[in-house]
Amino acid sequence: MSNSKGKIEVYNRVNRLKLKAGLSHTDPNAKLRIDPSTVNKADSIIEKKAEAYPTEVKRVLTALHQNWVKAQSGDRKSVPEIMEKIYHNANQIKDLASTFNYPLMQHFGVSLRDFVEKIDMNKGAHRTIVDAHIDVMWVALNENVHDEGDERAQKLKSLVQKAINKYS
Amino acid sequence: MADLLSSMLREFGVGKILLAENGEDAKDLIRYNASGGSDTKPMDIVLTDWLMPQMNGVELLKWIRSSEKDNIRFLPVVLVSAYTSEEVVSVARDNGANEAIVKPVSGKMLADRILHIVNHPRPFIKAPGFFGPDRRRSEREFEGEEKRQSTEQDVKIYNEQL
Repeated sequence: MSNSKGKIEVYNRVNRLKLKAGLSHTDPNAKLRIDPSTVNKADSIIEKKAEAYPTEVKRVLTALHQNWVKAQSGDRKSVPEIMEKIYHNANQIKDLASTFNYPLMQHFGVSLRDFVEKIDMNKGAHRTIVDAHIDVMWVALNENVHDEGDERAQKLKSLVQKAINKYS
Repeated sequence: MADLLSSMLREFGVGKILLAENGEDAKDLIRYNASGGSDTKPMDIVLTDWLMPQMNGVELLKWIRSSEKDNIRFLPVVLVSAYTSEEVVSVARDNGANEAIVKPVSGKMLADRILHIVNHPRPFIKAPGFFGPDRRRSEREFEGEEKRQSTEQDVKIYNEQL
């Protein structure tokens, strides 16, 4: 298995996935198919799970909020680890929001995730920006502000933007 | 997200699905199932998120492709990400992913990627600085800058037999 400098090795593997599906692994015309109706059913799972969106986001946002409290009150050594958790919490909220079509929450999730990546915890102003994100995310969730376009959404976005402009 | 993907896969008829909380857990699961123990079965395919705690999806992919065990390093890997498709496809391809999916994931997108892996398998290439499925998806002669420069003597072919 050694690969001397400049040499190329090509591995033609047995197609085990085809074998597992009961198809000939040597016949290129033997194709696995997925019934379109099962694809529709898979899509309907997204719709069904959408009902659980508020509960899921609340769970993740609660964890994010608790992590943020810990990051500010815990010992300094644990801060990077906690901030990584917050980064992933924000990313998870963004994923949920994009999957279930909540553009405003998606916007805040991305914004917080990206800000956390470059945060300086020694700067009170940076901490204020995180606070602003968490506040508006709670409002968006509790008041079910869905789209980015409506008046309430614009107000929430402008609150965060003002904090970023003023403090970053 | 993992929960959603696994529900969709079940709908496609996938029987056993193992979920990992993060990259390190995924490594443990893959290693354990490739160990050949009496209660283990080698995995068929890995779907990994790009952003994960502890070890991200690209790092997991690199770990898989650098394994010395054939039942790990040749595993088909689908990288799932929310980044823009061009960036994802490029990083996924250059690190040896079989396919990339950009979130939000739909049933059709997931089905298409899985069917592509099953129905259009690509040979694995080991070249300086790269190990993974052939990055050229088409059989056509490639004339761009990245055209392979090797002569026949430089290429060694391994055909796996059952």
